[in-house]
Amino acid sequence: MMNGQKKRGPRIEPFRHRVETDPKFFDKSWKKLHDAIREIYNHNASGLSFEELYRTAYNMVLHKLGPKLYEKLTENMKEHLEEMRTCVEAAQGGLFLEELERKWNDHNKALTMIRDILMYMDRTYIPTNKKTPVFDLGLELWRDTIVRSPMIHGRLLDTLLELIHRERTGEVINRCLMRTTTKMLMTLGSSVYQDDFERPFLEVSASFYSGESQQFIDCYSCGDYLKLAERRLSEESERVSQYMDVKTNEKITAVVVKEMLSNHMQRLILMENSGLVNMLVEDRYEDLTRMYTLFNYVPDGLTTIRSVMMSHIKDTGKSLVTDPERLKDPVDFVQRLLNEKDKFDNIINVSFNSDKSFLNALNSSFEHFINLNNRSPEFISLFVDDKLRKGVKEANEDVLETVLDKVMMLFRYLQEKDLFEKYYKQHLAKRLISGKAASDDSERSMLVKLKTECGYQFTSKLEGMFNDLKTSQDTTQGFYASASDLADYPTISVQILTTGSWPTQPCSTCNLPPEILAVSERFRSYYLGTHNGRRLTWQTNMGNADIKTTFGNGSKHELNVSTYQMCILMLFNSSDVLTYREIEQATAIPAVDLKRCLQSLALMKGKQVLRKEPMSRDIADDDSFSVNDKFTSKLFKVKIGTVSAQKETDPEKLETRQRVEEDRKPQIEAAIVRIMKSRRVLDHNSIMTEVTKQLQPRFLPNPVVIKKRIESLIEREFLERDKTDRKMYRYLA
Amino acid sequence: MYTPTTTSTRGRVRLNVGGRVFETTSATLASAGRDTMLGAMVDASWNSGVHDDPAEYFIDRDPCCFAVLLDLLRTGDLHVPPGLPEATLYREALYYGLLGRVRSARLGDFDPDRLRLASSVHGRSPGDGVAIRAAPDGGCCVSHGGASGVVRVYNWMLQERRPVYHPAHAPVNDAAYLDASTLLLAARERPGRRDDDGGVSSFSALTGETRHRFRVAHDRQPRSFTATALAFDGGCDVFASCKGRINEYGVAVWDCNTGEQADFFYEPPGCALGEADRLQWLEETNTLMVATMFPRTDSSFVTLLDFREKSVVWSWSDVGTPASIEDKHAVDAVAMEDGRSLCVVNQYDDLGFLDLRKNASGVRWRSRSKLAMSDGKTKKAACGEEACYPKLAAHGGRLFASTGDAISVFSGADHVMTSTLRCSNGGAICDFSIGGDRLFALHGEENVFDVWETPPPPII
Repeated sequence: MMNGQKKRGPRIEPFRHRVETDPKFFDKSWKKLHDAIREIYNHNASGLSFEELYRTAYNMVLHKLGPKLYEKLTENMKEHLEEMRTCVEAAQGGLFLEELERKWNDHNKALTMIRDILMYMDRTYIPTNKKTPVFDLGLELWRDTIVRSPMIHGRLLDTLLELIHRERTGEVINRCLMRTTTKMLMTLGSSVYQDDFERPFLEVSASFYSGESQQFIDCYSCGDYLKLAERRLSEESERVSQYMDVKTNEKITAVVVKEMLSNHMQRLILMENSGLVNMLVEDRYEDLTRMYTLFNYVPDGLTTIRSVMMSHIKDTGKSLVTDPERLKDPVDFVQRLLNEKDKFDNIINVSFNSDKSFLNALNSSFEHFINLNNRSPEFISLFVDDKLRKGVKEANEDVLETVLDKVMMLFRYLQEKDLFEKYYKQHLAKRLISGKAASDDSERSMLVKLKTECGYQFTSKLEGMFNDLKTSQDTTQGFYASASDLADYPTISVQILTTGSWPTQPCSTCNLPPEILAVSERFRSYYLGTHNGRRLTWQTNMGNADIKTTFGNGSKHELNVSTYQMCILMLFNSSDVLTYREIEQATAIPAVDLKRCLQSLALMKGKQVLRKEPMSRDIADDDSFSVNDKFTSKLFKVKIGTVSAQKETDPEKLETRQRVEEDRKPQIEAAIVRIMKSRRVLDHNSIMTEVTKQLQPRFLPNPVVIKKRIESLIEREFLERDKTDRKMYRYLA
Repeated sequence: MYTPTTTSTRGRVRLNVGGRVFETTSATLASAGRDTMLGAMVDASWNSGVHDDPAEYFIDRDPCCFAVLLDLLRTGDLHVPPGLPEATLYREALYYGLLGRVRSARLGDFDPDRLRLASSVHGRSPGDGVAIRAAPDGGCCVSHGGASGVVRVYNWMLQERRPVYHPAHAPVNDAAYLDASTLLLAARERPGRRDDDGGVSSFSALTGETRHRFRVAHDRQPRSFTATALAFDGGCDVFASCKGRINEYGVAVWDCNTGEQADFFYEPPGCALGEADRLQWLEETNTLMVATMFPRTDSSFVTLLDFREKSVVWSWSDVGTPASIEDKHAVDAVAMEDGRSLCVVNQYDDLGFLDLRKNASGVRWRSRSKLAMSDGKTKKAACGEEACYPKLAAHGGRLFASTGDAISVFSGADHVMTSTLRCSNGGAICDFSIGGDRLFALHGEENVFDVWETPPPPII
């Protein structure tokens, strides 16, 4: 069949390249390339024709000589590199790196040109046969023939590490040369850079910094040591940016941090005379900032700083609140707390980057130690009292406002907020009734703060007090408008206080002077006439009066006295001398108060309105009193104070506490009922936690008390114990 | 306008190509890139000693092709004069290192509404093609049925490469490109053969050599298996629907870099994973769609798998759906690229949609009017011919469906038909594939496939 075809038609011969038949074709072509490559390595490429060389290589690949060409090329490049290696090996001392750099540049240039010539092979033969492209082949050969040759490998690493060491000890080195060398390693592949340079570099660095830290931690203060560490860290970062791979930065930073900081963390933070506590005490913001930034790198670093700071705050706070010396002056006590708070707020904001976890630590420390002293609620209220009385004397209301805001911070730490409420109510009542509340705005703004903090019910009674005063003013005006014949009587101003809103006082009536009694009775009938079904009792212990007085020596003064004092003084309109017993009978003022009043009238230096016989401090039944005719004062208006303690005396304190405990009982019961009503059945422990959680904003209930309340509720058949499980309670609707 | 004479010659280059002189600037030549022959030629490293201006080079090549390529460098436009064989042009372009440029000038960005039939390629295999796959670079491969196990591979110039033979000549079920030079084949295991029959293997698309066999082990015991469908997530995972010799049904996952088995998702009850017709990786939801369709099984199943949680996140099947009078079955399924809906087609070319965001929803079948109109007349003509079930594809936000001898393109949220691609040679379309800016349609009868591509946009 085939033969038949052959005879019949013209035969088509397979196309053949004639050159392929030339047995010397490869050798001739390769010689051309070989010579050209030599010229290229000898910097003598200007005479070469790129087009010719390219075509030569193209023809070789076209004629399936790719494998042979590739092999020859590899061999040839290796020879050139071996020549280069000899040169590099021969380079002496410092010239070693320079020679290496020069040869690397030569090789790179040559490689680019060789790749240009063999571009066609790169595009066709190499991808189909999965060979290394020419340029990468050149790099691999450079790596194996030069960088990893036995004579160069160790020497290169030693030279690099030696130079870095010299730079660390303060010498100036040729960074440019370093850069080209490390860049060469990176070009050869990230694994070459890592294995042949980075890993040994990190090891050497670790031992360097381990040694340095050992040396300096013994003789440096904490602050100075941290300065050194900071400087070293930034030096290393800068070094990396100058002549290493960016990825090394993270690793070398970790090494320095570990050797210089992590390994010495406890010792540094707790260093005597210069550690964290000293920095805190001395407000060394710069050092603290440095410590915070540096230990941020260290695992658990900030946690350690935080816990040391916490225990420091707790310790100083505890000694502050338990120092008996401090308890003498409540205002100073609170002011010191505020200063302490300000101090640490500043430190955290300035040095600790306003770190939330540090602020939380600060808060919990304060909460811890403020509640160590159970008088803290009282003292804080007294502090506010002091500020609000003096309000106007302070520079302006903005300053006062910030002070109040800070006090609210302390208030938040209190566990017994209800105790504070008690005191605040007392102090507010005093301020309001005696008209010493300096600024209505400030009072109200304090109320708003409390309201936002603790809710409506916390302040509803306090607001009631303000309303009472407002209505009283209107009522008094109404009273005077209703009758025209009151001009002959002394002017009175009545404050009608709703029972319950105000702190209850033991009601001790006294006999009012007839002039006052008359007008009071008229007011009573006016008031009861306008308001049906109310009861009005006079709280004579709380009032005050202005009396126009003409003394025996003719001097005229207006005396500002309490109601009790007024009653006493009015007696002297009709008698010259009165004994204590006579005064007591005439006025019916309780003995304690009466003695206090008389003391303040007769014994206050410069304000002796009465004369006492004998001139002793204590008052006996037979002591006699007369008006001091020689009374003088530079002022027309004279204020006679009452001898009364601002701070509570111990029995009073006990009483207040009892009252507070008493008030808590219904609150605890209400909480229990609220919880049981919704849960129906609950075990003992859950009730405990729930109740504590509900009441926490006001106070921290004592578990024993809760238990008692539960029992009381069981007795009153609000709850019952489960028949089978005694720990379970059941709500009885 | 006045131009100084010194600048007029600077940067000018004279080229003598096979006797014809061209003048251009070194900038034009350098624009080809440093990694091309022309770019290297005018680079400073090769011209250190030369200072004559303008520079002159001699190139021993065909001037006609060079003119075309120089024009390409100057304008970015490829204009091939009639009479210049494309193969010659490609050869010259390869010489200059400009083949990549020619390719991107040749293949405009894929635009389904401006497709043009570029050529019809006739295959030489004895059996008809059963599946066609587009390569990422514009080439394709055609798998032939029967026991030959041969896959014909074409580069983007549509020149046939050395075909890929399955080493055991096992019948090939599915093919997928890992990249332009790596082809994956899924083959059927034949009973009674050696253990390494069938399964999934990768081959060099350039030389046809076997690169790697992907093994499956159950309980650490390597087992042979039949692979029916393949998918590649574009990152490093290769998926195949596998049926083991001892009925281990499921989807196997391999790491394509290491070639090691990474996971095996065993078929849960109520799903069909081991004999799927189509696997599709959904980039948006990181899930794999497994579709097993009629007539391979009696009912159609579609399942979405999440391999991170090893769970079935969505599934649908028409088991239990009352058979209608026409006895319709979903015969192909494709998930839309946004991962929100799934499109199915039945043997009567009706399109239906499923919501992938809701489980247990039914198919919303569309009125078939639009499709029916387009293929109404061909249906009659094709009565005597071998019928092909319709196929679906989603690409660039469009939906493609083959119906008879045409492919319809649907656009927009409502899937309105916007184009029809038809070439009457070769009978019904049995498979088509989109990729590398081309659409390939394989005909069921004449062993011919059509290549559709988008011409460059008009100049103004």
